[in-house]
Amino acid sequence: MSFLNPWLLLAALGISVPILAHLLNRFQVQRTDWAAMRFLDRTVRVRSRQLKLRDLLLLILRCLALLFLVFSLARPAWRGDVAAWIPGEKRAGVIIALDASFSMQHGDEGNSRFQRALKQVSVISDKIQAGDPVTLLLLGGKDQLIAHNMAFDRERWDALLQEVAATPAALEWDGVPKRLMELADGMDAAEKEIYLITDTQERNWKNRSSEFHDAIKNLNTTAQVFLVPVPGESANLAVTDLALVSGALRKGNIARYQATVRNCGTEPVSNVEVRCRVEDTQIDSKKIPLIAVGASETVSLFVPFYNAGATRITAEISGDLLASDNIRRTVAVVRDRVSVLCVDGSGGDAGRLISAALLARGDAANMEDYTVRSIPWLAFPAEDLSKADVIILADVPEITEDQVTQLSRFAREGNGLVWFAGDDVKAASWNERAAQGDNALLPGVIGNIINTSDAVGAGKPLDPNMPDHTVCLPLKSLAEDLLSETRFLKCVELKPSASSFSVLRLAGSDSPILLEKSLGRGQVFMFATSAQTTWNNMALTPVFPMLMQQMITYLAGREFERPQTVGDTLTLSFVEQPDASDAVFDSPSGKTLTVPVREYRNQYVAFIENANEAGFYLARVSVQSAAMPVAVNVDTRESEVACVPAAELAEQFKDSGAIIAADEASLAAAIDTTRTGRSSWRFFLYAALAFLIIECLFADRLMRRQQSTDHNQETMPAGDLGKQNA
Amino acid sequence: MSIHLPETQYLDPEVLQKIGDLELIAREVVQGLRAGSHRSNLRGFSTEFAHHRQYSPGDPIRSIDWRVFGRTEKYFTKLYEAETNFDCHILIDASSSMAYSSGKVSKLEYAKFLAASIAYMVLKQRDSVGVSVFDSELRDSMPPRSSMNVILEIDRMLRIAEPRPKTAIAKQLHDCAMQLRRRSFVVLISDLFADVDDVMAGLDHLKFDGHNVVVIQPLDAYELEFPFKGTWRFEGLEGEEPLTTEAERLKESYLTGLNKFLDELSSRCMGSHIDYTMTNTKRALDELLSEIILKRETPGGQSAPSRS
Repeated sequence: MSFLNPWLLLAALGISVPILAHLLNRFQVQRTDWAAMRFLDRTVRVRSRQLKLRDLLLLILRCLALLFLVFSLARPAWRGDVAAWIPGEKRAGVIIALDASFSMQHGDEGNSRFQRALKQVSVISDKIQAGDPVTLLLLGGKDQLIAHNMAFDRERWDALLQEVAATPAALEWDGVPKRLMELADGMDAAEKEIYLITDTQERNWKNRSSEFHDAIKNLNTTAQVFLVPVPGESANLAVTDLALVSGALRKGNIARYQATVRNCGTEPVSNVEVRCRVEDTQIDSKKIPLIAVGASETVSLFVPFYNAGATRITAEISGDLLASDNIRRTVAVVRDRVSVLCVDGSGGDAGRLISAALLARGDAANMEDYTVRSIPWLAFPAEDLSKADVIILADVPEITEDQVTQLSRFAREGNGLVWFAGDDVKAASWNERAAQGDNALLPGVIGNIINTSDAVGAGKPLDPNMPDHTVCLPLKSLAEDLLSETRFLKCVELKPSASSFSVLRLAGSDSPILLEKSLGRGQVFMFATSAQTTWNNMALTPVFPMLMQQMITYLAGREFERPQTVGDTLTLSFVEQPDASDAVFDSPSGKTLTVPVREYRNQYVAFIENANEAGFYLARVSVQSAAMPVAVNVDTRESEVACVPAAELAEQFKDSGAIIAADEASLAAAIDTTRTGRSSWRFFLYAALAFLIIECLFADRLMRRQQSTDHNQETMPAGDLGKQNA
Repeated sequence: MSIHLPETQYLDPEVLQKIGDLELIAREVVQGLRAGSHRSNLRGFSTEFAHHRQYSPGDPIRSIDWRVFGRTEKYFTKLYEAETNFDCHILIDASSSMAYSSGKVSKLEYAKFLAASIAYMVLKQRDSVGVSVFDSELRDSMPPRSSMNVILEIDRMLRIAEPRPKTAIAKQLHDCAMQLRRRSFVVLISDLFADVDDVMAGLDHLKFDGHNVVVIQPLDAYELEFPFKGTWRFEGLEGEEPLTTEAERLKESYLTGLNKFLDELSSRCMGSHIDYTMTNTKRALDELLSEIILKRETPGGQSAPSRS
């Protein structure tokens, strides 16, 4: 037997009160001398035994009422056959953790894993008694507590279940046992049950770590854990990526995007058609002949840009059982033109090489929508920066504070800045004015020039292990021998700032050769090497034009071009403090989310912390302003929908104490079998109330007599009062 | 005796109890009484001629003094004054039952006040008064005397009178009848909690011997109303077996029995031409005496027994 509120049993000590009162009052019979005894009817006699019996009955009623009340408040519960003769209800506090990740949407219409999971919830809820505490936790992305220690009410519960749906988020199970333990600890129930209803994806449930097993085992000490698998077929295709590979995002240009489709199933899939849509209009379609099991295939999708502005692009497949991961979204911010201003401090060499790299073809210079201009650095102060989209500072010796302010504003407005080292660069001046502090213009602090050439005079190549960065994409497609042709003889030592990201490194070295940082809406790249051939041979290899053109494409883009994942934070940055205090995000389902603009590290930003829908969000700096689409995609790790069979799961968790219920019937049977704990507090409460009522009626009768006696006592002579024994 | 009683119409027995001095109590009671009905008072207890007054229609013809008519040719009637050799015997029941009190004044105390008042009133008329205190036996007795100093002895005797467990009222009445040689005025003050036949036998004996008998029965308010509720243990004052009972269940039968007893007592007294007065011990003494005297004024010197 256990008590939910054992400390309340101390209240049973209160039983001493009626006992004490009984002992004190057991001789309480009013006594008086009487002269006219001859007129008293001696047949009407109350025997002392009768009085004792009456008082004893009253005492017993009071004690029983008190004891039963204390017992009911202490909420006793019996497990097994203990005190089976005592009436009790099979009750338990129930916590249902329902996997609502998007893999649960896998399945035919009307028979998805999530819908089968809801049927299991119904089986569980059929066993819940009205008033028992129940918690429903939707797992996936950010947990949602649909009901928390709710007193079970069938209608309300059914209404809640009507509202729940799977989310487009992925689910990581590592933190789930801890979360469930918190919920179990916070639940007032003598017996608790935790139901984990999930599709038991292999990625989560196959060969779980011992820590996870221990966590489930530990959870089972607090509450009986039921693992309720709702497995399904493993066939699934997912569009795992859609990225810009090449081409400038300019009006009239054609960009090449690459869509990746992964076969997550256990059978090879043939003839997978990938359709590309731009603003909901299909513009390209490619067919993948065969995708092997577990393999990913890519197709190139060519996207022509006829109009400037933000453009929504999707790559879609169809025909499988999970729709959430069949579409991948991205946004291209197409410009009317791209203008690159190269500020050359080297006397002409650097500017010429950079221009040549950016204008890879001889006729490119004549394109109206793509201009590259090189000016000497002394002419920079007179230049109108508003006409440029990207500014390249090559071997510029020093910079004034005003120019730092100008360039910082230029970047914050959403433009790009590229900085090259060089022989003439005065590191101290740059560090003092542009590279120090959290919100510095440059992503690193300039150090000494270091020699990276070897004994034979050959420099170090780039590290082929490049991060998954847009700028690196074309370099990754280069053959390794071509990449290794690029050699770096010397570079400056860069100390990255906290907010910077190392894009390229030299092979065998941790020192970055290219750093990046975000500044407002724009980006700043910083090369540790020079554009000139005295420091490296980069300008003489294919790496330089590929890198520079990709960098310009990247920098000429906008922040929202980069797709987000469900659960990510969507941030809208402002150049200056906006007039409106709130920014607006429209969700893909049409909900309008108004979020306040906050100041963060000298920048004004508005953000929603958890993008919980997949699709295109629309961000506005104010209600009236134009919307900027933001692509939000699902986390395709969840697309691995293959499940661990129930038998394997049972074997895996056999020592944890968790019960595996594979179907509805076995779940119902398992609940009936294991829920041996009986709650009797209600019966004790009824008994206490019954005793109280009887005692009250009985005591009321006696009380009335007592009151009249008191009245008599008030009118009695003092002498006679003294004769009465209390 | 500088204490002066408040000027109330009737004297509250509880106030009298606070005074304690029986002589003073008697004086105050009787003087207050005389202030309102002097003539009736004197005439009620007197038989000797006092003076004449002019005849008025309605006066008895035989009371006309014909000798005065012969001398004056006017009708005068003869009026009588106090008789100096008239004896008044006051019998006080001091049994334990008389000790009962629900308030501040017990029946015995009430009887003492009453006896003292009557004694004072009789002495004031220059008659003789004697007092006997009895329970199962005669405890104390004082033969009738007419000196005003007697009141002090009566005071002393009544002061020391304590309730005794048993009463034998019939025997005492018979003894009293045997002892009284002259026709006397006998006042019995008792709760009469005894067999009615026995009581009446004693009273009839006195009446048979030619005594003028007045019975005053003081009863406590609780005895008359029985207001008890709840469980009570009644313990008899005269050694009866205690009774623990539910008072409400007992009330009806008690009141029926009491009233039957009182009715029988009253009717049999009336049949024997005995003045019978039952009184509540809360009743003012002067009011009670006034009522008794008023009854004595009725033609024939007798009145219907009353219960007040």
